[in-house]
Amino acid sequence: MHRSIGSRVGRVAYGTLIVLLYAFLLLPIAIVVIASFNSGNYLRFPPQGFSLRWFRHFGETASFTRSFFFSLRLAAVVTVIATGIGTAAALYVTRTAKRYREFLRVLMIAPLPVPAIITGVALLIFFYAIHVGTHGAFGLVVGHTLICLPYVFLIVSTVLANFDRTLEEAARNLGAGPWTTFRRVTLPIIKGGVISGAVFAFITSYDEFSISLLLGGVGTTPLPIQLFDYLRFSFDPTAAVAGVISIVMAMLAVLVTERLVGLESLYYGRRS
Amino acid sequence: MTAISLRSVVKQFGDVTAVDHLDLDLAEGELIAFLGPSGCGKTTTLRMIAGFEMPTAGQIWLGEEDVTWLSAEKRNCGMVFQNYALFPHLTVYRNIAFGLEMRRVPRNEIARRVRSVLEKVQLHGLEERYPRQLSGGQQQRTALARALVINPNVLLLDEPLANLDAKLREEMRFYIRTLQQEFGITTIYVTHDQSEALVLADRVAVMMGGMLQQIGTPEDLYRRPETAKVADFVGLVNLIPVRMKERCGAAIACESTLGPLEGRGPDGPGAEAEGWLSVRPENLHLSGTDGAAASGTDGTVNQMRGVVRERAYLGSLIDYRVEVGPALTLRIQGGAEAPYHAGDAVAVGFASADAWFVPSEEG
Ligand SMILES: Nc1ncnc2c1ncn2[C@@H]1O[C@H](COP(=O)(O)OP(=O)(O)OP(=O)(O)O)[C@@H](O)[C@H]1O
Ligand SMILES: [Mg+2]
Repeated sequence: MHRSIGSRVGRVAYGTLIVLLYAFLLLPIAIVVIASFNSGNYLRFPPQGFSLRWFRHFGETASFTRSFFFSLRLAAVVTVIATGIGTAAALYVTRTAKRYREFLRVLMIAPLPVPAIITGVALLIFFYAIHVGTHGAFGLVVGHTLICLPYVFLIVSTVLANFDRTLEEAARNLGAGPWTTFRRVTLPIIKGGVISGAVFAFITSYDEFSISLLLGGVGTTPLPIQLFDYLRFSFDPTAAVAGVISIVMAMLAVLVTERLVGLESLYYGRRS
Repeated sequence: MTAISLRSVVKQFGDVTAVDHLDLDLAEGELIAFLGPSGCGKTTTLRMIAGFEMPTAGQIWLGEEDVTWLSAEKRNCGMVFQNYALFPHLTVYRNIAFGLEMRRVPRNEIARRVRSVLEKVQLHGLEERYPRQLSGGQQQRTALARALVINPNVLLLDEPLANLDAKLREEMRFYIRTLQQEFGITTIYVTHDQSEALVLADRVAVMMGGMLQQIGTPEDLYRRPETAKVADFVGLVNLIPVRMKERCGAAIACESTLGPLEGRGPDGPGAEAEGWLSVRPENLHLSGTDGAAASGTDGTVNQMRGVVRERAYLGSLIDYRVEVGPALTLRIQGGAEAPYHAGDAVAVGFASADAWFVPSEEG
């Protein structure tokens, strides 16, 4: 009797903790979502009535839509480059590099511990020094790729560390050349890691602020920077709308990974 | 015709010599077992034949072709890996079809050949399963089917049964042998289980420390080992230290601390050669100390006395340890019909035909 009461108290306490934790994580998101449907003129909580007027305002403001699509395109380009380079680097460092393996590994993930603003400043100085990337989106692509690379590299490296290389030998033994072996055996097996890395890269690029602040220019303003500029002068719920769009994008990305990587395990057959 | 020929093959990893001047010829359709303790270079040899490792020196020929520097995908060797190495993302069918797809075999012929080999390894009905959904034995047979379906010139098996339980291992042995003969395919079978090697192989190659110790039929190896190491590695053996006194053809007479002994020996060592007489436990006969005559019927010329120190009941046999001299205990396996007990004084005898002279290493 005594014990069961004790365990029930424990369970209730544990449940409460979980609920609080989720509340802590989800409340800001909920507030942003609610605030975006505000019909009043200012970004505030609780909202004054319900309306979609700020969504319309976001859609009708050219600077926002332009930045939004620019951010999407930038993230797409960066994802492709970072995924390609990150995967290739992971393959090289995990398999071929011998003496300098640890050094190369640290080099690849260096942009993670270094504050993004420092990386941004360094790139800015560098670009001005060599007169490259000071106009257009080139600088942004390089900067974002640098920030996104470590994610792809780390995730793919982890998958490769557990990869059984006799599978590749088996493929060679059955008559597949090196490239066919990579395409037909290695890639399908590490696909889950590559896709997760790509999704991480996409979200990271879409949300990136510090580097974009330094390397963005006229006509190449990513959404977070546009939002920041806007908020300095008008504190209305359009910011919340942009937030909602970000949240939806992240959820979509998670769903897509879930679909693709989840399908993967289906494709391998379930563990029986 | 020679199907595989290893000519003075050496493989070094840094300063470790994994394979040391290996010479070996395999005839077409032959099954050779590589037998040896862990780390003796069996896998390395197999991997060189498959093309996954390049020899440091020497040549490897497959049939009429020097393949020493040919890349793995061009060798047409079927290999079964110890962990099977089935592609986890492909079904049984696609796993087996893989090698045929690489050879650009037309789709309908692939289907026909895969179906036929599935029939042979008794896996029909499991085509659409993924490797993870198979039992160990089924995975093993899938790996075998995948190697066989490409009609390889040689089949390489690296401890293919090591991951199976004892009963299944027993069954699969005979199964692999039958399949190998049916396909008539030259096969190298790596194992460190001597009973597996003896049961399966046409010839057994015993390797130790990267070197070939002896190659011969299972009976050669068991009855006429060339070195004490081989005698010891292949089955149970008693080694009685002796010095050869004289020889007449294969028959030899020796002296030992147990008195004069007679046996057989290889060509080569002559009088005064030091070595051992190797006698298998089942060829030693026990009798009571009073009835020495009882054992004289089957050509038993070598007689000695001893005391039973230990006995272990093995069902069909009893395993005795009999002390016959200072620091010399013989292992004897006999029928259960005349049981002796620890402490019993016994007579031990063996026929000269069952004793084989093994020269000591220096000799
Ligand atoms: N890639 C490698 N690098 C360095 N040394 C190696 C390598 N592969 C094998 N060796 C060494 O070569 C020797 C022979 O190894 P091998 O794997 O051929 O033994 P084996 O006979 O197959 O043993 P087991 O029965 O345990 O599988 C061992 O000493 C091993 O440590
Ligand atoms: Mg091995």
